[in-house]
Amino acid sequence: MAAAKSVKKVPQYCYQCVAGPDLLTVKVEDGVATEVEPNFSACDVHPGAGKCCVKAYGIIQKTYSPNRLLAPMKRTNPKKGRHEDPGFVPISWDEAFDIIGAKMKEIRARGLTNEYGYPRAAASFGGGGIPTYYMGTFPAFLAAWGPVDFSYGSGQGVSCTHSEHLYGELWHRAFTVCPDTPSCNYVLSFGANVEASGGVVGAWRHGVARERGMKRVQFEPHLSVTGAASAEWVPIKPKTDAAFLFGLVHVLVREMPREKLDVPFLKQHTGSPYLIGPNGFYLRDPATRKPLLWDLKRNAAVPFDTPDTDPALDGAFTLDAIEVGADEETWTHRGLAAETAFGKLVERMRPYTPEWAEQTCDVRSGTVRRIAAEYVEQARVGATVEIDGETLPYRPVSIQFGRTVNNGWGAYECCWARTLMACLVGGLEVPGGTLGTTVRLNRPATTRQASVRINEDGFMFYPMNPTDKANWAAKPKVRNAHDTMVPLSASSPWSTALGPTHFSWMFQKESPDENWPKVTPPDIWFCYRTNPSISFWDTKELSKRIAEFPFIVAFAYNRDETNHMADVLLPECTDIESTQLIRVGGSKFIEQFWDHEGFALRQPAVAPAGATRDFTEIATELAVRAGLLEQYNEAINRGSACVRLSSDQYDFSLDPKQRHDAQTIWDRTCRAASAELTEGRESDGLDWFKEHGLRTRPISRLSWYLFPELRKKGIRFEMPFQERLYRVGVELGHRLHEQGIKWWDVQLEEYGGLPKVMDFPGIWEQETVRQAGAGALADYPFWLITSRSMQYAWGSNVGVPLMNEVSGNVRGSKGVLINRRRAQELGIEEGDIVEVSSYVGATRGPAMLAEGIRADTLLMMGQFDHWATPYAKDLHKPSMNSLIPMSMALTDSTGSSADIVRVGVKKLEAAS
Amino acid sequence: MARFIMTVDLRRCIGCQTCTVACRHANATPPDVQWRKVLDIETGEFPDVRRSFVPTGCMHCGDPPCMHVCPSTATYQRADGIVDINYDLCIGCGYCAVACPYQARYISHKREFAYGDKPTAQEAARFDARRMNVATKCTFCSDRVDVAKEKGLTPGVDPEVTPACVNSCIAGVLAFGDREDANSNVSQLLAENQFFRMHEELGTDPGMYYIFDKK
Amino acid sequence: MKTNIQPGRITPWHQTNWDWRAACNFIGGGSGTGLLFFATLAAGSADSYRIMALIALALVGGGLTCVWLEIGRPLRAINLFFHPQTSWMTREGIVAAPLFLCALAAVWFGGGALVGIAALLGVAFLYCQGRILQASKGIPAWREPKIISLILAAGFAEGAGLAAALAAVLPGVSPRWLAGALLGALILRRLAWMLYFKALEQNGAPRKALDVLRSFGAKFEMIGQLAPEMLVVAGIFYGEVMPYFVVLAGLAAAASGWWLKFTIVARAAYNQGYALPVLPVRGQGEVKPGVKPGWTK
Repeated sequence: MAAAKSVKKVPQYCYQCVAGPDLLTVKVEDGVATEVEPNFSACDVHPGAGKCCVKAYGIIQKTYSPNRLLAPMKRTNPKKGRHEDPGFVPISWDEAFDIIGAKMKEIRARGLTNEYGYPRAAASFGGGGIPTYYMGTFPAFLAAWGPVDFSYGSGQGVSCTHSEHLYGELWHRAFTVCPDTPSCNYVLSFGANVEASGGVVGAWRHGVARERGMKRVQFEPHLSVTGAASAEWVPIKPKTDAAFLFGLVHVLVREMPREKLDVPFLKQHTGSPYLIGPNGFYLRDPATRKPLLWDLKRNAAVPFDTPDTDPALDGAFTLDAIEVGADEETWTHRGLAAETAFGKLVERMRPYTPEWAEQTCDVRSGTVRRIAAEYVEQARVGATVEIDGETLPYRPVSIQFGRTVNNGWGAYECCWARTLMACLVGGLEVPGGTLGTTVRLNRPATTRQASVRINEDGFMFYPMNPTDKANWAAKPKVRNAHDTMVPLSASSPWSTALGPTHFSWMFQKESPDENWPKVTPPDIWFCYRTNPSISFWDTKELSKRIAEFPFIVAFAYNRDETNHMADVLLPECTDIESTQLIRVGGSKFIEQFWDHEGFALRQPAVAPAGATRDFTEIATELAVRAGLLEQYNEAINRGSACVRLSSDQYDFSLDPKQRHDAQTIWDRTCRAASAELTEGRESDGLDWFKEHGLRTRPISRLSWYLFPELRKKGIRFEMPFQERLYRVGVELGHRLHEQGIKWWDVQLEEYGGLPKVMDFPGIWEQETVRQAGAGALADYPFWLITSRSMQYAWGSNVGVPLMNEVSGNVRGSKGVLINRRRAQELGIEEGDIVEVSSYVGATRGPAMLAEGIRADTLLMMGQFDHWATPYAKDLHKPSMNSLIPMSMALTDSTGSSADIVRVGVKKLEAAS
Repeated sequence: MARFIMTVDLRRCIGCQTCTVACRHANATPPDVQWRKVLDIETGEFPDVRRSFVPTGCMHCGDPPCMHVCPSTATYQRADGIVDINYDLCIGCGYCAVACPYQARYISHKREFAYGDKPTAQEAARFDARRMNVATKCTFCSDRVDVAKEKGLTPGVDPEVTPACVNSCIAGVLAFGDREDANSNVSQLLAENQFFRMHEELGTDPGMYYIFDKK
Repeated sequence: MKTNIQPGRITPWHQTNWDWRAACNFIGGGSGTGLLFFATLAAGSADSYRIMALIALALVGGGLTCVWLEIGRPLRAINLFFHPQTSWMTREGIVAAPLFLCALAAVWFGGGALVGIAALLGVAFLYCQGRILQASKGIPAWREPKIISLILAAGFAEGAGLAAALAAVLPGVSPRWLAGALLGALILRRLAWMLYFKALEQNGAPRKALDVLRSFGAKFEMIGQLAPEMLVVAGIFYGEVMPYFVVLAGLAAAASGWWLKFTIVARAAYNQGYALPVLPVRGQGEVKPGVKPGWTK
């Protein structure tokens, strides 16, 4: 008689995308993982009803893939390149660590930075910080190492929602921005694809909202799954979203009665009443240097923080004041007639009429006016709601953006207009309105509220990289030069990866000018869950740069296009073979707003395959081999792995001098987590978490909103005028010109008090003509854009057949989407193989004809140009990554660009 | 007597395919055999275009044509309305497949695997030779429903006795329950909303109800 | 053949469960039972009957063998008999057994009442085949009720054709009315076809199915109907000088019947596809008219 089957369900988390974590269980039958299910015990605390995303179901096939690397490998062919066979041969872990250890010691002996001041060690990880949820204690190793260059991006930092990150954090501590979906009634969504990239929580919240009647209007050149689930689709011309938004602002501030707006909010909680001087800076009180506003009660100019004022929103007033410009340049004014920031705004918006917007973005002026009216109507200006005893404005309208809208040229203007639109109806950071989710650039990052402090002008402090003469980083500290070129990228641990990460690759090939410190490859490069060889732009060129790296250590699940150039491959355990504890709850990326906070565990559901190792064990051994064990342990004690191991209430610290195995490290971490959540009362360790999977405690929903914190601290939103940015830009220009650097002059023009809408599509068109010659626009008549696929987004899971199977059920996922009528004009039929080319490359795939796409636009969903990754390389899908140039001209002042390019299309062969 | 049905809220569905993969896991179906499948339907002409996502599969018809035509009685209707297949009786003639107007039935004649010609550990562990060369389809996870009474649980409410697709749905699209029970979740949903059933004109009395608007 | 579905399909696509082997069952079953029927009435001698009946049984048996080869679990074929209450496939199987027994007995004895019983069982078998198709609710081109009379008419036309052709080469004299019966069967088949196709057109069908049938019908009415009809008319009037007109007509009638069934079973069997009576509301949008992609109505 056969033995009874052993069946257990092992709690896990999935953090394959930034919209995680999802909480799940893996069913294990007789030691084999067989099923993924939501962790039903989490449905009361998880804001997505405890469900898990489609990608989570791929982890079993991922774990059992025959294509996994099951032993460390070393390269035997010293030549690197796409067409070089690396000659990988399996080696023991000892030999692998010997090779890496020798290299690390050699590097440390030579010094942690090279002759140009760049870190000798570099590390790259996939987007959104996701890999940290799988790399165990490796962050502690990196912290122990010292300076590490994180500036070699694989798309993140520039083709992410970049401007939203930077300006979002500046204006409302919003690394990403979303509606307060559970109580919002009206959302204008510009290219945001929340139904594909919002994860379980996004899908759940929007599903519930749709059912109760929330109206979402989707603006995008093609009808995405989010467009499909919206009440209305507006097929806007690519990269003209700013024009539409400026049209909306025009209607609100110039065509509507002022009382329709939230005037008290504008007066008391924004910089709208600040008075502006003739040089474009705030007029300030000569004694205190505080910005001035005109108080209608006193009929006099007073500092912004004067109690009991009724600030004037519009109008011109005569006053004496000083104006402080860049580099402390100061002007003294007497009897000056000055306008408010709001007045300047109204004037700035004069040309941006709905009729002008119609010309620019191919959407009727009537639509602009109707949507502006709907937005204001739905905003319910004056309404309030009580949350946990605090009365807050209730403004159930919001605007959200997606990639290509909120990165690259035009993105700053979009972000500004979005934030302003929220302020105009008092809907920023209040229930129902437009919210930030989390902070990455501001510190401390524990909560958004914790990072809020007032600056001297009454706005939120922001840790700009210095631009003054004494402190500006004339020599970049890392290869993408974010500290030198992009003040707004700040100086947090995340900042490096949020600089212009394409610069590292571009400058390695060619310095922007002869004065620029030479960019040399790092002496050692660690990469994990990242594949820039196919996931960045101009991938052919980028692969060549990677091939120039002298020593690459790749943590590798299987062979891929980037680790093809590696010297050593270290196979780590998969998601369900290893251990890690992470924080959950509070508010996180995209739409993750919880009413709880706590911790969740990932644990081995099945035994590791082959000789694969838990990442924490690998990190510990690396620390030992680098002679950094003590520093590594101390970093873990400080919380690098998840949570501080000691406080005044508990102490579970590791002995820094001893080596600890992964189980011990995570047990201590679990104990500290339990203690933190219970203020020291409980100290349940790893075994408890293994059984329960997660531990949480309730939090107040007030933590979702930043407005209460600002109101409490008397801080205003820095809207509409951008004096600080203007000053920083002027100063940056001074510094660069002092160094003889002129190649950033176009970007410097983006810094100003009030933004203007330029011909943003024209920037791409002009570059196309510049690079490919006159007539190029006729050769490349289409805009090529991309769109997220929930089955793949961020997942590093192209090698999982189940994902390929089900993504095939979604329109457009396997080919090139083209407007049906336009295709017919070109003689292209469904399934014909077409070549899509730009001036830097070409790709091919089957044509998929659709009505839901503009005639001037093509769409490619997945970017799967794989040529080494097993399984994925046989899918032969088209990818736009090989078509997009890395270009200074296409880089905006934040150092980002966008996934958009002018292309041509031609039929290669008829459908089979 | 119970009649188990499924409701599909088309207002909510986003075509994410989570139900499809959850079903693939729960029922260990081979590659491309999607008992629960979500269609992506584009309609209209630019710019007046709509895209709808429509979960489909076996409708567990009240008057199932597949059952009537089945020569072996392998396809049968349970007292609770679920249409199921006895794999040990089925001769794999495919008659049920051509009788089903919902394209819900599959017959696998060859073992297929995710990665080429060898099964993964998961596929090897879950392989069921009884399912080769016979008709298969969605069972409303009848094996789960079967234990509801014994465990004192309610299908459609308690995850353990609810179909995997319903449990997995990340947008609250799918619900499962007893149409004959006026207080069940599905009866409540149907009382509050407008719905249709697909190809109802064929007289199959299908058991999937598509909600498209509130009443 | 692994699955009946291709991901992403919305409009009706061709079913893949029944292929040429299934078509052969309808071909063999129709021609065989038709031939058996006409052999009973028109065989010129006992030996002629025996040969005709054996050919008829070979056709029916061949068709059933093809189906047996197609089913997934051939060793369980006996389970086919489990559902006489509603399944026309079971009923076909049940009729097949006495049909073979009676016909073989009639062949053995060379006449008698068994001949007539076998012929009637053959007609019953043929009727079952029509009902098998008509009960296939998932295939609009099959479920049209007029397919039953088409299958019956086609079986008789093929049987009359084969009988007429065989009579010319077998011993004995076949009745003179056989050519007229062939003409009559052909006319009935033409009529049944036209009514069937018209019904599909009127009631709506998958566009691709209708395209296949329309294109087929134009050729079928000329080559498959008019040609044998003219040949048989020529045979009736000029049979003395050109005895092979009727043989040719008979063979053409049978071949075109096979063509017809192959087309209906293996080429026009587009499934129902999917349809939405209305498009759902999304938030504050409105319900829009539904769609039935790939259908003529």
